[in-house]
Amino acid sequence: MSTASAGRRKKGSSTRARNILRGYLFILPCILLLLLVLGFPMVAAVANSFTPLWSPEKTFTLANYFSLLEDVLFWNALKVTGIFVGGTVGLHLVLGFIVALALNTAIRAKKIFRVIAILPWTVPDVISGLIWRFMYNPTSGIINDVLMRIGIGGDYIEWLARPGLALPSVIIADVWRGYPFVMIILLAGLQAIPKELYEAARVDGASRLQEFVNVTIPGVMRIMLIALALDTIWQIRRFGLIYNMTLGGPGHVTEILSLYVYKHYFKYFNFEYASAIAVVMALTMLAISYPYIRTITRRA
Amino acid sequence: MTKARTSRSTTAYLIIVFVVVFNLIPFVWMISTSFKTYEEAHKIPPTYLPQNPTVESYTQILIWTNFPRYFLNSSVISLGTAILSTFVGALAGYGFSRFRFPGRTTWIGVIIATQMLPGVLLVGPYFKMLVQIRLYNTYPGLILAFTTITLPFSTWMMKGFIDTVPEELDQAAMVDGCSTFAGFRRVILPVITPGMVATMIFAFLLAWGDLLWVLVLTSGDNMATVTLGLSRLVTQFRIIWPQLMAGSVIGAIPPLVLYVILQNYLVKGLTAGAVKE
Repeated sequence: MSTASAGRRKKGSSTRARNILRGYLFILPCILLLLLVLGFPMVAAVANSFTPLWSPEKTFTLANYFSLLEDVLFWNALKVTGIFVGGTVGLHLVLGFIVALALNTAIRAKKIFRVIAILPWTVPDVISGLIWRFMYNPTSGIINDVLMRIGIGGDYIEWLARPGLALPSVIIADVWRGYPFVMIILLAGLQAIPKELYEAARVDGASRLQEFVNVTIPGVMRIMLIALALDTIWQIRRFGLIYNMTLGGPGHVTEILSLYVYKHYFKYFNFEYASAIAVVMALTMLAISYPYIRTITRRA
Repeated sequence: MTKARTSRSTTAYLIIVFVVVFNLIPFVWMISTSFKTYEEAHKIPPTYLPQNPTVESYTQILIWTNFPRYFLNSSVISLGTAILSTFVGALAGYGFSRFRFPGRTTWIGVIIATQMLPGVLLVGPYFKMLVQIRLYNTYPGLILAFTTITLPFSTWMMKGFIDTVPEELDQAAMVDGCSTFAGFRRVILPVITPGMVATMIFAFLLAWGDLLWVLVLTSGDNMATVTLGLSRLVTQFRIIWPQLMAGSVIGAIPPLVLYVILQNYLVKGLTAGAVKE
């Protein structure tokens, strides 16, 4: 009997070892690819921000980070990114929520509306940028023309060339492109709220506002936070839209961080400095997304 | 009660009318412009619908520019990315879903965290690396880059789909004498095919829409993609809007069709584990 149990234990531990091995074998290709294509460039970028990797003279320096502190354009890019991300994510959420609520009420032909509601999100951001750029065209664009017809405009407004208007204009274009994502996610969340909760609230005599605050909001909270986290991360990285609408201009008023790093890399060829900015950007993104990563990992 | 309900659905309809108009106007504008002549598109004030619809912009970009080549490049790169990242993602997803090994949570955390790295951080050194191993300006170089961008997501989505398959299914296969991998191939893969299709489409679209990586990792016109080709057309001195919009229409069709097909899977995949408790 003792030998039997010992045998079982031995067998058990070898199965366990084999399972560990198998688990690693399955995730190995994924990890190798990530190390090769993400890990290596990441380490290189971080190293490069401290010492010029691709030049014969290799000295450790913090100079890149110090010049960051004094770089007006870096702070400008940080501010522009903040306004762009805050503005777009906020508006995606508000508009997405309103439309999701509307689509969630009993209406006819739901399917076709759902398809129409998602359409803008299917367009690559490069193409959305181009469409809106032509819509904003001062003389041949539709926006000024409509405004003039309904009597608000009356002027050939340079939406993308006027410093005060360029960033809001870009944000509006991105709201069109991006809100449907938040909307479909929220719609899925709304539909997952059990009907009984609403019935119970009604029995208790809750007003519509109370129903919204006490049933709807808590019901979609988790999924809403996920949508917000994903959207924020995607918006910080957005590139093609602004690249094609304004290229950061006029001046630097729409120059978001990703564009600023890109310019330092491939226009001014300041590899080390560009790396330093990108490192700061990456750290910011990791910090913002840390709660999201933790939650997801813990639930896995 | 009935009155409240009517007012509620009236509000809902009003919102939906607004949505339809807001969402569709840019599409109408793009399509309408693509059928205008150069003169009409640049007229002041603009016309809303083409007065003499013409397909000349389409024939021009398809015959006189490298656009068909861009379309081919986009397709090859996106398809390669979709296949590679979904299969590697399915393997990893299975590993994470079925085995408990030390370091499992850490690796999941690392994989999720890599999604947060901005492209501009990686693209410079990756460019240097590709030049050194002579994969700069090639399909494999770009496919590898995009696969890595989409892989964390593919892995996560595939894990979500595999989690929904009861474990008894692959255990039964192993009792029948299948090896782990054969069990994965014969039992799991067929069941999660819809999930794999969804993941593939998602990876395809990510690669299709990218500009930054193609901008940096290609040179010249032969490796350019649709997004890069269009971005170059718009920086030219004389912007020919009808052509640009015709190119945009063509470039927007594949993602549009795929998204509409994918809609339901997409929500499930993106929110795997978030809706169900």
